[in-house]
Amino acid sequence: MQNPFEVIPAKIYKIKQESPLIRTISLRPEKSIRFQTGQFMELTLPGIGEAPFTPSTSHFQTEVMDITIMKTGFMTEHIHQTKVGDLVGLRGPFGTRYPLERFEGKDLLILGGGCGLAPLRSLFLTLLDEIDKYKSITFLAGAKSPKDCIYKSEVSGWKKHPNVKFLRAVDVVPEGETWDEEVGVVTVLLKKCSIDPKTNPAVVCGPPVMMKFGTFDLLKMGYKEENIYLSMEKKMYCGHGQCRHCVMGKYYACKDGPVFSYAQIKDEEAIWE
Amino acid sequence: MLIEEQALLLFFQQCAEKGVGAYSEIIVPVQQGENEGQSHFSPFSRDKVCILSGYRSIDPVKMLFYMPREKVLPIQKSRKKRIVAGVKACDIKGVQVLDAALSGGDFIDPVYQAWREETTLISTDCSSIASTCHCTLLSGQPYAESGFDLNLSKLKDKFFIQVGSEKGEALLKLIQKYVPVEDSSDADLKAVQANRKKMKEKVIAQNKDLERSGKYDKLRQDYDKDWPKVSETCVGCGACTHICPTCYCLILNDETKAQKFVKVRSYDSCQWHGYARVAGGDSPRPKMFQRFRNRYLCKFLFMKSNFDQLGCTGCGRCTEACAGNIDFRKVVKRITDKVKTEVVV
Repeated sequence: MQNPFEVIPAKIYKIKQESPLIRTISLRPEKSIRFQTGQFMELTLPGIGEAPFTPSTSHFQTEVMDITIMKTGFMTEHIHQTKVGDLVGLRGPFGTRYPLERFEGKDLLILGGGCGLAPLRSLFLTLLDEIDKYKSITFLAGAKSPKDCIYKSEVSGWKKHPNVKFLRAVDVVPEGETWDEEVGVVTVLLKKCSIDPKTNPAVVCGPPVMMKFGTFDLLKMGYKEENIYLSMEKKMYCGHGQCRHCVMGKYYACKDGPVFSYAQIKDEEAIWE
Repeated sequence: MLIEEQALLLFFQQCAEKGVGAYSEIIVPVQQGENEGQSHFSPFSRDKVCILSGYRSIDPVKMLFYMPREKVLPIQKSRKKRIVAGVKACDIKGVQVLDAALSGGDFIDPVYQAWREETTLISTDCSSIASTCHCTLLSGQPYAESGFDLNLSKLKDKFFIQVGSEKGEALLKLIQKYVPVEDSSDADLKAVQANRKKMKEKVIAQNKDLERSGKYDKLRQDYDKDWPKVSETCVGCGACTHICPTCYCLILNDETKAQKFVKVRSYDSCQWHGYARVAGGDSPRPKMFQRFRNRYLCKFLFMKSNFDQLGCTGCGRCTEACAGNIDFRKVVKRITDKVKTEVVV
């Protein structure tokens, strides 16, 4: 029998500082990992602990995996101290994926903020690998300030795709920084897109408060509850719906999520906290 | 079938000292300190007072299948076969919930499953009750009807034996090889039933004022009104969850030293502030009353919808262990039935 707590060893082969607090570490696992975009992995630092992260690479890439991590707590501070060549462990993949088949032939809207762009990059790159299947992709990305924007070097490449619209907004532009795109919370960008909200899907991922108001704005625009997909952040721990840390009423974020439709979870308690 | 208590203890002693068949370990409730009737699970030994009947032990039988601290990667192989005897009905129910959670669905905890497979469970009818016992409020009773391998009902200095599984059947055959087992009569069965009825009535009488509507959906009500009040003396120590026969929330600690990954599972508690905290410090239940309430919702609503069984077996251990002297039964009654009862004992 397969041990559900099995760890796949992986070596760090590249580290990229995306912003003062966010870095992307590139891993080469000992055996290939087939995940579906939207699913998450448990990353182990030997002797320190483990925490859930979503890969930010296309799911067609199985030999290597990027994980984008913000320095925000005990575990992530240790991750930010790792060096190229260090050994880490991976468990997974766990949870639900983005329902790509429901995006086919549609005008997909992706709304992301801060480090929430990490799973969305995985979704976006996966979609790009089969771009002919989708009518269009509108990717709206938010960040606190210009220096907090991540994946900077890749954005110009993404913008070149004919049926991709990539727009960014920052909350504030502090003195000394330059910015020639939108200023304001990410939802201001919604005014700039002309998608029929009745029939098209939307994906939201970001800090809880952004997810909450992003979802409410989409509903106001006319998006249907069952067409809004959210990546819920809870403390996923074991990955099997066993340890109950990520419980959301009758759902577990790790097993029944992290990708939920808004219609699925709107009646559960404290989903935005 | 009937077996003399002394004969059964002799069989246990032979198992523990020399090993009988594949069995080499016997775990039974033994007397705890000077307190009459109080017991905890311990390996069988001639020097300890074994209490097979009586009421439930202080620690739940969960501790023997799902240990407070246990290595789950890599898995240690080759364990001994064992008998766990003197388990009460509330703990048998607890094991049924754990079975559903840890080996009943898509997920199988390999260590839990191994312990279950290597263990033969002998339950016994309660012959006394603790002041916190309330199985009858959960439509249970102080004797097991299923979920055991063998069940023992005390009749004077003998036990009336009931077989609950093939494993139990095989053990009974083994016992018969070593010590005398006699046939039972209809009168014995009637005596067992009479004892059971008497004991059940005792539990019902003890909880007469605590009977409730059973409309557990109502636990969701009074979110920021009554819940903060009923949890006023809760200090968030987590004793209630650790001692609960059905709580199985875990932490997976990484104890890797060299290149080989080592994972150790230990108990977590939803009563602790760090339990659901995510990176950056946010928590869905930052306040004590929210975490306190979560345990009740989990027992009566979440586990019910996950496993189609209530997560409370009525053992009353959480009340016994509570540092804030909160009576679990009174909280349930006060919130579901909207009555003004003092919950602190």
